[in-house]
Amino acid sequence: MALLEVDSISKSFGGVAAVKDFSMVQGREEISGIIGPNGAGKTTAFNLITGVQPLDSGRIFFDGTEITSLPSHCITRLGIARTFQNIRLFHNLNVLENLMMAGGTRLSYSTWEEMFRLPRVVSQEKRLEKIARSYLSYFHLEKYSMQRPDSLPYGLQRRLELARALMLEPSLLLLDEPAAGLNPREIHNLIELIYKIKEEKRLSIIIVEHHMELVMNICSKIHVLDFGLKIAEGKPEEIKKNPEVLQAYLGEEV
Amino acid sequence: MNLNIFFQQLINGISLGGVYALMAVGFGIIFNVLKFSNFSHGGVVAICAYLGYFLATRVAGSLWITLLATTLLGGVVGVLVEKLVFRPIRIKGRPLTYFFVNSITVAMLVQQFFSALWGYDYYPYPEFIKKTALHIGRLVVSKTYLMMLFISALVLLGLTLFLRKTKQGIAIRAASSDIWTPSLMGINTDFIISITFFIAGVLAGITGYFLGMTYTVTPFIGSFILKGIIAAIVGGMGSLTGGGIAGVLLGVVESLLIAELGAAVTPIVIYAGIIILLLVRPQGIAGKLYTIKA
Repeated sequence: MALLEVDSISKSFGGVAAVKDFSMVQGREEISGIIGPNGAGKTTAFNLITGVQPLDSGRIFFDGTEITSLPSHCITRLGIARTFQNIRLFHNLNVLENLMMAGGTRLSYSTWEEMFRLPRVVSQEKRLEKIARSYLSYFHLEKYSMQRPDSLPYGLQRRLELARALMLEPSLLLLDEPAAGLNPREIHNLIELIYKIKEEKRLSIIIVEHHMELVMNICSKIHVLDFGLKIAEGKPEEIKKNPEVLQAYLGEEV
Repeated sequence: MNLNIFFQQLINGISLGGVYALMAVGFGIIFNVLKFSNFSHGGVVAICAYLGYFLATRVAGSLWITLLATTLLGGVVGVLVEKLVFRPIRIKGRPLTYFFVNSITVAMLVQQFFSALWGYDYYPYPEFIKKTALHIGRLVVSKTYLMMLFISALVLLGLTLFLRKTKQGIAIRAASSDIWTPSLMGINTDFIISITFFIAGVLAGITGYFLGMTYTVTPFIGSFILKGIIAAIVGGMGSLTGGGIAGVLLGVVESLLIAELGAAVTPIVIYAGIIILLLVRPQGIAGKLYTIKA
């Protein structure tokens, strides 16, 4: 059974179609990519899937549950996590707090219990901190735990955002231009990192990306958007040869 | 000014400043999360001043019980204002100007409501503390002021701990830096906003009660919020600590100037000073510059 099923979703802003009749099926432990020129509707597609913006029409199913009109926090709790094109870390919390906040759904105590610091509050808090610290060391960020995210170099902020997304224990991870602003060596490391977390956490990943090498390298399936419409879908080799794609998008580059 | 009067006014100023600090924090916490200037806070303060008066004169005679009840009811009023006035426009994604206009409207609505209902009469709170003055050496300190100071400090300390340590507190801080992303961390933003308005309402409850005790209740009691807003801006929008400190400072400066220059000249000096301060340091004492304002 497919993990994510997007059934002809549409969204327009002020009469302009940002995404039009977009459909896709994403399997478990699969890495796929969504590519397309600027303004093709890639990020909008992510926003629709994660419930950030309401759909105009269409339906979305995740893990057998319809999530079409669920609020974002419910969709997240079902197991969809994401990162952002322009990094969205909480700059008034430190690095450790950023991670612990994303793990808040694992805590089952109420605010009243918390005020009296009952034993189960303390023990759950400790366990959450332990998990957060294990992610920090997984991403080699331990020594920054008490720093503010905006004091970190850009590449580390991207890693921190990835760590924070994994704190949610997702089964589907949406990466919005993870290579933006990274240098070639960092991109190479990122590709290895994405492979590694996919294998170890048994994740399904969808990547929105401009960087062709990254997408062609790690995605088993690629969807091509142009002006909100899907113009092609297939394996990287097929996409590379598709005349429509070449014309719409890769034309000048290949 | 002799030393005696100086210390006397200093203590009075700190306790009055404590109330300003409560207002500054109540005003500031909403600004931090939703980024609009919430003038309806003054309306909630006024409602609570009347509520406290009603409870203290008609229901129970105890200071502590009526103060606690007013405080909790203030929280409820805060949540109701959010749900009735601000949530509908937030869900529709209206610009900040709508929030700003709605908040002023609520403040005026409350003022006119009480004017129409009970006229412009003054309603004094009962005298809870019979032996009102405490003699420390040659200083005469009002017990009411000491109690206000103690409670304000306690409440602000408790709020600080809540924001630093609890998961909801951390979520409020996260939402202050980015209202959009917490929901993608599995956090129910609507709930967090309700909690924020509850906290602001609790602070308004204490403020309303203290102002009622100090000045007697009139429909215009909510306009004291201006002092809290000034403290929040001088302290720096975005920094609750800055707002709290500026509130205390404002109270002290005001009390000292009143003793030295009189009650008529003092506001002129203070307001002029604030305009100059914000020219020199527009971000306030501890805040950062905001480009979005409403």
